[in-house]
Parts: sequence; C-alpha cells; structure tokens
Amino acid sequence: MDFGLVYPALVASRLFLAFAPLPDALRHDHQLSSPLTSYPRLQEGIYLFQHGIDPYSGGMFRHSPLLLSLFSTVLPLNDVTSKLLWTTCDAISVWSLVQIWRTRQRLSSTSRDGLIAAIYLLNPYLLLPSLALSTSTIENTLLLLSIMFASQGRSSRSLLALAFLVQLSLPALVFVIPISLLLLTEPVSKLVSPSIPNISLNSVLAKLAKFGSYTVILTLLSTLACGNWAWVEQTWGSTVTLPDLTPNPGLWWYFFTEMFDHFRPFFLLVFSVHLLIYVLPVCLKFQHDILYATYILTGIAALFKPYPTLADPGLFLSLISLFPETYQYLRYPIVTTLLHLHSALLLPLFHHLWLSQGTGNANFFYASTLVFGMANGAALLDAIWSGLRVAIGTLPPGYEIVQK
Amino acid sequence: MALVLRAKFRRWLRGGDDGIAAKVRRKNQINDIIWKSLPSIRLSLLVAGYAWMLAIPLPNLGRNTYIDENALQPGQVNTYWNWPHVFRADRYLESLEQLRDQNSTNAEWAGYIKHEFRDLGIHVSTQSYHFTNASGEYNGTNVYAVLSSPRASGAEAMLISASRVSLNGNLNLRGIATVLSLAGYLKEYSLWSKDLVFVISDGYLEGMQAFITSYHGADEPNLDADPLTLSSGVIWTALNIDYPGHSFSHLGVFFEGLNGRLPNQDLINSFRLVSTYTGGVPVLLYDHRDPREVPHLESQLSIIPTWLPDVVKKQDAVREYGFRAKNILKHVGYQARGQTNGVHGLLHRFRIDAITLFAVPSSGPHGFHALGRVVESTLRTMNNLLEHLHASFFFYLLVKPGTFLKIGTYLPSVILVSVSMMFTGLGEWTDARWYEDLSKPKATDKSVAASGGIILLERPRPVLQALLIMLATHLAGVALFYIRTSGFAGLHPETTSLTLCALLALPPLFALIVRSSPSERSAPIASILKAANLCLASTVISVTSVLNFSLAAVLAVLLGVPLSYSSYKSALPAKIGRYAIYVGLGLGWLFCEKEVQRAIWNWEILGVWFAPFVCVVYTPLVLQAGIVSLLPS
Repeated sequence: MDFGLVYPALVASRLFLAFAPLPDALRHDHQLSSPLTSYPRLQEGIYLFQHGIDPYSGGMFRHSPLLLSLFSTVLPLNDVTSKLLWTTCDAISVWSLVQIWRTRQRLSSTSRDGLIAAIYLLNPYLLLPSLALSTSTIENTLLLLSIMFASQGRSSRSLLALAFLVQLSLPALVFVIPISLLLLTEPVSKLVSPSIPNISLNSVLAKLAKFGSYTVILTLLSTLACGNWAWVEQTWGSTVTLPDLTPNPGLWWYFFTEMFDHFRPFFLLVFSVHLLIYVLPVCLKFQHDILYATYILTGIAALFKPYPTLADPGLFLSLISLFPETYQYLRYPIVTTLLHLHSALLLPLFHHLWLSQGTGNANFFYASTLVFGMANGAALLDAIWSGLRVAIGTLPPGYEIVQK
Repeated sequence: MALVLRAKFRRWLRGGDDGIAAKVRRKNQINDIIWKSLPSIRLSLLVAGYAWMLAIPLPNLGRNTYIDENALQPGQVNTYWNWPHVFRADRYLESLEQLRDQNSTNAEWAGYIKHEFRDLGIHVSTQSYHFTNASGEYNGTNVYAVLSSPRASGAEAMLISASRVSLNGNLNLRGIATVLSLAGYLKEYSLWSKDLVFVISDGYLEGMQAFITSYHGADEPNLDADPLTLSSGVIWTALNIDYPGHSFSHLGVFFEGLNGRLPNQDLINSFRLVSTYTGGVPVLLYDHRDPREVPHLESQLSIIPTWLPDVVKKQDAVREYGFRAKNILKHVGYQARGQTNGVHGLLHRFRIDAITLFAVPSSGPHGFHALGRVVESTLRTMNNLLEHLHASFFFYLLVKPGTFLKIGTYLPSVILVSVSMMFTGLGEWTDARWYEDLSKPKATDKSVAASGGIILLERPRPVLQALLIMLATHLAGVALFYIRTSGFAGLHPETTSLTLCALLALPPLFALIVRSSPSERSAPIASILKAANLCLASTVISVTSVLNFSLAAVLAVLLGVPLSYSSYKSALPAKIGRYAIYVGLGLGWLFCEKEVQRAIWNWEILGVWFAPFVCVVYTPLVLQAGIVSLLPS
C-alpha cells in the first residue's frame, strides 16, 4: 500500500465522517468522553468564561485553562471548526505514528506505512471518541507528537508537547521518564538482542529539569489566563480526588461510589500511587528498547487512570502496529481478541440496559467495565510477555520457556 | 528447625530438585488431558445445554411469585365500583355498538368519545396521525384525556388505555366502555397521587405508537402526527384494557414488549393478586387455559402429542409439563421476534411498566362488574408507588401464573451451548496451528517419543482471508436487508425472495474451485473460518442472552449443532448436500411471506430490531458455516 495514496484517502473519509449526520447522543456518551474530556462541558465552560463567570467555580468544567484560552481567543469553537480541528488532530496523530515507525526502522518510507495509518484511523475505539469530539483525541495527538520528536531526538519539542499533555491530563506524568530516556537512546528495535544502554543520570536529570521548567511556565500561563489558582483543584485535582463519579469505562468510578467516606482518602492514595509504581520497573526491564517501555506504559495508563475513555485503550491497541517482530510470540492472542470482542459488545449493551431501557442497574455496566479491564489487562500481559520472549527466539523441539 | 522444614516443604511443592522440569511436565500432562478430552467436553456441554432447556418446564422447578416492592400493597383496599357504574358502561356500550353498526368513520368515533369525556368534566383532546411505510398508509385519530391528580403536583402519571381494535382482531368496544365508565367513576375520588391519563387509541398498535412517541417527543420517521395539547408527568405504569367478547371467564395478562423488553414483574404479580382475591377472576398467561380445567378441549389446548399412551399422557406431571411448556413456547414466540402482543408493549421503550388485561372471551361468568373492580384496585396499588418500579425484577420467565424462574435457573442453558461453541472454535483454531512432520524419520529422543513419535510443526494461519470472507457475508446481509425492505420488494415479494436467495446462495459456490493449499505448510482457510465463525456466534449468543433470552435460546438451537459440526473434509456431493442444508437454514425464512412482512412492518412502524438482526447477523453466520463446508481441506 502506498502511503502517499492511503493517507489522503483515509483522512478524506475521516473528514467525510465528521460531517456525516451523526446522532447528537454520541457527544454525551459516557464511554466516549469523560467529565474531563467532554465536548459539551468544554462548550459550557467557554460560554461561562466569555460571559465573565469563572468556569471553575462550579463542579462542571474540568478542562485545562490552556484549552479555555485557546478556544475563546484564537480559535472560536463552533460546529465546523471543531470537526475540522478534531480531524486535523487525527491526521497529525497518524502522521506522527508513521514517522515513529519510520524512525524505528531507519527508513524514509516502508510498505507498512499505509497499514499503520489504517490501523490507527479505522480503530473504532479511537474513531468514535474523535467523532464525539472528546478532548482525549487531542491528548493522544500530543502524546504521539511527543514520542515522535523524542524518537527523532528533538528534545525541546518533545518535552514541550509532553508538558502541554500534562496540562491537559495529569496521569500523563507516567510518560515523563520514558520520554526523557527515549531522548537519550535510539528508537530502533533492540527487543531481539537486548543490550544495556549507556545513559548518565545527569543527562536524565537535565531532561527532567527541562520538562519541569516547561511545566512551570505553562502552569503560570494557565493561572494568568484564569486570574486565580482555582483551576488546579478543578482540573489536576479532580484526577486525584475523583469528585465526579459519572460512569466511564475505567475501574475507578464504581469503586468510589460504593466506598464509605472515611476510607476515601486512603484508597485515592492507593489508586493514584498504583498508577505510578509501574513506571520505573517497566523502564528498567525494557531499558534496551525504551519505545517499547513507552508503549507498555500507555497500556498501563489506559487501564488504571481515573477518567479513561475508549480512546486510551484504543491508542495502546493501535500502537501495537509498531512492533511486528513481537506478533508471533504473543501468548494468548485469540483469548485477548475474544475478550475485547465480548467487552466491545457488552459495554454499550449494559450501558443501554442501565441508562436507557431501565431494566438493568449500575452493577451491569460495572461488570462490563470489568470485562473491558480484563481485556486490556490481557493485552498488556501479552505485550509484556512477547516483548521479553522475542529475545529468546525460536526454540528447538523439546524445549520450553518458563517464567520464574 | 522451622527453617529447614520450610525449605523441605518448599522443595516438595516445587517438585524436588528438578522442580521446573516437573512443573513443565505436569503442565503438559494437564494440557494433554484437556486436549484429548476436548471432543467429549464440548459434546457434553452441548448436550447439557439442550437438556437444561428441555428441563425448564419441569413441574418441580420454579418458585412462587412474590411482591418485592413493599409500597405496592396489592389488594389491601375496599373497592366501590358497583352496579350503577356497570349500568353506565352498558349505556356507553350501546352507543359504541351504534357507531359500529353505522360504519362510522374514525373521526366520528373520536368525536363521540371526546364528547363523552367532556361530559364527564375531564380535559380531553384528540390527535390525528398518519403513518406511511412500504406496504401502505395508516390514518386515525386518538382521543386522550388527563385527570389531574388532586393530591400531588402531577409530576407522575398512570396511563389507562384501550385500543379500538383488540389483540384478537375484533373491536374492543367493551374495553372502551370500561375506560369511559371508569374515568367518570375515578374522578369522584380525591385519593389519586398521580395524574390519570386515559387514552382511547385508534387502530390496534398504530394509534398508541403515535400517541406515546408524541408524548415523549421521540423521533418517528414514518409518522406525521398532531402535537399533543394536553400534557402530564412521567408515566410510571400503565394498564391496557382489552375486552373484545361478550363476557369473560379469565383475565389473561400479556406483557412482552418491543425488542424483548419485559415489564417489572411486580406489576404482573400485583395484578394477579388483585384479580384473584379482589375480583375473584382467575388469571391466565396470555389466553392459554389449562387443558385440565376444560376436559372437552384438552386435545386442542394441550401440546402433548396424542399418540402417547394414556399411561403417560394422563400423568399429572406430564400434563403439568405440557401446560408449562406451552406457556414458555408462547413467550419465546413473542420475545424472540421482539414483537409485542398488545398495546402495552409500545410503552416499555419509555421505561413505562405496562401490561394488557385481556378478558378471555367466554359465555360467562364475569363482565364489567368484575373488570371494574380489578382495574380500580390495581390502579390503587399503582397509586401507592413512591418511586419507579426498580428492583431487579425485569429478568424472569413466567412458566404459569404465580410461578416463575429466576434468571440463574434458565440463563445457564443458553450459556452452556455458547461455551461449547466457543470451545469448538478455540479447538479448531489451535488445531490449525500444527501439522504433522512426515518428512523426517521418526526421532528417537525422549521428548518426541513422549508424544507418540509424532513431530508437530507450526504453520501460519490465514486469518485475514477468513475475516474478509466473514465481512463479505455480513455486508451481503446488509444488502439483503435493504433490498428486502425496499419498495420494490413490497410489490413483488416472491420474485425478490427468489432472486435474493439465488444471489446469496450461488456466489459461495465459487469456493469449490479454490484449490487446496499445495502443502500442509499453511492452514486451510476453512478451518480458520470455522474457528472465527464459531467464536463470533458464541459471543453473539451469550451477549444476546442478557438482553433477550428467548432470542438467544432460538439462536442456540438453530446455530449450536449446525455450526459446531460444520465440516470441510468431505467429498464433493456431500459438500453440496451440506451446503444446501445451510442455505435452507439461513435463507429459508425468505419464503415465509407472512412472517417476513410482519417483521418488516414491525421494523418500519415500531422499530423492532428483529428483521435487521436476522439479515445482518443470523443469515451471514449460517452462510459462513456453509462456505466452510464448500472450501477444500
């Protein structure tokens, strides 16, 4: 497939879909946008902001002030501009993904480019949130841009994109260390022949400091745009304190609806720390191929972040197209696929039973999010297994691999 | 000491010094056992599933119904409906019979009913509607009246309705007369905490569909209806009264709604208690009378085959089984097709728990007097509600009035069949991965000898081709649906069916000229297709079972054995024969003209998903199994 042909065709059909008559309910769907990424809430916040009311004074608006200032000044958000913007984001994401692939292969173009673009743009987990104008699409674009620049060794751009991403979504902090490391290593595949890279601690710290200074500047800019610090509690704070328990396909919301208030702070701490503890082990285990570590961490963030949408696991699933060398070592690919098939059918069905038809209740939807969690967990374990297993290669008959 | 013991124990747990090898060996042994017994596992799962289905009507299964919502308090009130109200109902009936005899128009009917409501002093209005679909047009006029609650804000409402045409096709004159007389009677009481909405809908289903979609402001593409001028609150519960005969012996309860949605069981249970103990009228499921109560009709009513010897036939357990089985079969017939069996079914879509009370036509002994009391007391029960009926009482299988099965006792039957299909699919998938290496002389080393001297080698599996075949069949299903529901098909149904059948059944025959792969190095497409087909079918069945158990059960029966035992390892005539069976199974329904037309009508006017489901999911699944049998091994 020729990328020069496939890419415009895919983007054109994506644009066509954006302007196709789609039901309005899509934008309100709980699986496609969370309270932190919902388009109607973004519109509401901009409206309040333009009419001189602090949008962060209620519990309704939880988007970053950067989005608020962008859409209320430079780029007025209406039905046409938003559809164009979201399509552009998808186009940039695909382009960055293909660039990452090319950098990893050290080739200027490959026969796989078109396929990679198709796997990203035709992935329903990514397409539907994007059609629903969920800002998780923008987050995915920023992450892919950051990874792309990191693969190309462009330190400032990469860390700036990441700093923007952290402004939009605090759980993206898990990517700070892998992206800093990626800047200091090569993105080429070393899964088959692992070797310890030579990274000095000082250079890592320099990257972290650079990222830190970008973040401080953006934070100050946000505060300047708002005029006060109230936004911190409403945006970043909400990923830590989980004030809005609107259902989503993640694992947090139901747990905290059922919890007694005096246990809340403890479990909030446990859940938040749990998301972070994977960063160092994964980066250490895959230090020979930091891009793979980043990929694993997208899966972990998608599984354990407080307000996920379908776009988060979708990104993880589409990124697998970058690592064809691991495919034949996936452990239970059919089981994972079937789990995903089941959960993809059960999620909308149980959501409908509970909230439209009224014959089910919250437990139904929660059960389907558990199946979804299992599917994503299985995909993650498969990816970790095959990423390590590929180094051992084909076995002579009569040999087995054992995990100790 | 303790440390030594612990170390010993740990070593024992790990299988001695050679721990890892022992573990691997144990794992391989377990895998071997599972793999060798897989055919019997999947067969026994399949048999267990079907046996469970057959066991559902057994007399000693099921439990008595109970009232879950304490607020309902059914049958705890004195009723005051009496002969003067029956007399009024009789007068209404006389006028309605006159309208019938004069062949009055829809507008005249509506005018009369509106006039009577106005005379009673209740706010009343009419709504004209106009439906168009491929098979024709439907016009009519609904009359509806709103009696505002004297004791509350009117945020909630109860709905009492009667359609002009009964569910058995006759005019529902006595139903309308009952509603009119009740409206006048209920107005005298100040105890209503919810608004009472009275609807006399035109036609059988069309009128209520027009009314209830307008009431909720829902979109209805084929409908052109007047907006409603009177409004009320959220409707929680609804009773539809259907009284087509002269008198009645039983009250039948019809409850299945569109797309297999059931009303909260508490409503049915309350009505049953009220009818039995307040009205003194026995309750039936649908209009199905127990054959044991009417000995002279037993041969007609019973589904027990007549050729069975009397010793078996007269057994009480057998007769009970037959009675329950017929109730269940009727339920499956309604729910699987997603069709409603009365006006109540249209309301479920808007979270209204509704049932139809059907006065089973008979020469006696009950009439307006009993019906009025039952409806009055049931309305008082519904009036007691403080919140929407909500307890998880929406998943049940009524086997006879007063006895039901909980979800845990009937759902596993379908799930077992589905699991068996999944195992078959996974087995096929694993099987396709390996081929026997015949080129080398038999090795002598230990590991190979353990597996009987056979060396298995991995081979690639053509997943993409199989998935593309599946996608193509589903796209063909979409085309089938659009062509069969088009205007042309409405005019020439038989030609269309024949053409469609040929168009869908012939192209797969090209699979016969596909050459089998030259070596064993690559898995045959047929085996991958079979694996994917079974996995998808299994997923569809198990996911559907929660939404619409009857549909899932029908799918399990129709797909279970045919898909599990599709085979590509047979000679050409056998291949063609097998394929013909699959075509018959997957496309035979095209020639049940009446059934197809009803399904299309249900889709176009009422939005029932059965027709598209069959075209886009069921038929392609069967055709995939057909293609499997055509492909070379």
